[in-house]
Amino acid sequence: MEFGTVEREIHIDATPDVVYEVITQPQHIAQWWGFDASVPGQLTRQRRDGSGPVVVPVDVVEADAPRRFVFRWAHPAGERATPENSFLVTFDLVPTDGGTLLRLTEAGFREIGWEAARLAAYHRDHGAGWEEHLASLAVYAAGLVRR
Amino acid sequence: MTATIDDELWAALGDPTRRRLVDLLLVDGIGTATSLSGRLPVTRQAVARHLGVLERAELVVPHKDGREVRYVVNEAQFARAVEQLASVGAAWDARLRRIKAIAEAIQSERNVRHD
Repeated sequence: MEFGTVEREIHIDATPDVVYEVITQPQHIAQWWGFDASVPGQLTRQRRDGSGPVVVPVDVVEADAPRRFVFRWAHPAGERATPENSFLVTFDLVPTDGGTLLRLTEAGFREIGWEAARLAAYHRDHGAGWEEHLASLAVYAAGLVRR
Repeated sequence: MTATIDDELWAALGDPTRRRLVDLLLVDGIGTATSLSGRLPVTRQAVARHLGVLERAELVVPHKDGREVRYVVNEAQFARAVEQLASVGAAWDARLRRIKAIAEAIQSERNVRHD
């Protein structure tokens, strides 16, 4: 179970230039992420039920071709992205013999601190009863009120 | 249960006040904009706006009760959010596989052209 940071790496038989292009160009992002990234500052996709678009804010933090691409996303619309309200995605591209080692990290799951989700997952993992889960939440909520 | 990340759900939960509202509703079982604003350092209007966002993401369900709207957590959607939080790694695995496939296709096309 990961609530702090997601870390992954994958070897790609393509040069860092090509990989960087795929990660950053809207026509490719549409394929690997399913978002329209052609408008700066936002990711857009149509809802599956046809009820209109979903717009998710995105904020590029660092674009160092073909080595590093960093962005924040999913912060509330109209607000500046911060460590408390968004997820930080970092792509590092390391040249290898004939290819690229692509490293991905997504941070923010602990920082945004959604206690309910953490506790519910704990409850599920440990088979604790719902009542016990609610008791934990009550302790947490009491902490909030005291603050 | 789907393993794909619902980005609207993430956006709804991208705000700490909204996550606290969900926490409070889970503990209390039910709440109104007025009762919830009494427990958070934000105005009733702000709470009502946040509840609207949570409602659109289907995380809370409104029940009209006279002049006030009472909200409860949609437990199915909440469970889905928890599931998704746990499946973020899997979602990135799938995206990275697609990045690899696209990049390698472009590379082999360029290699052919240069041969």
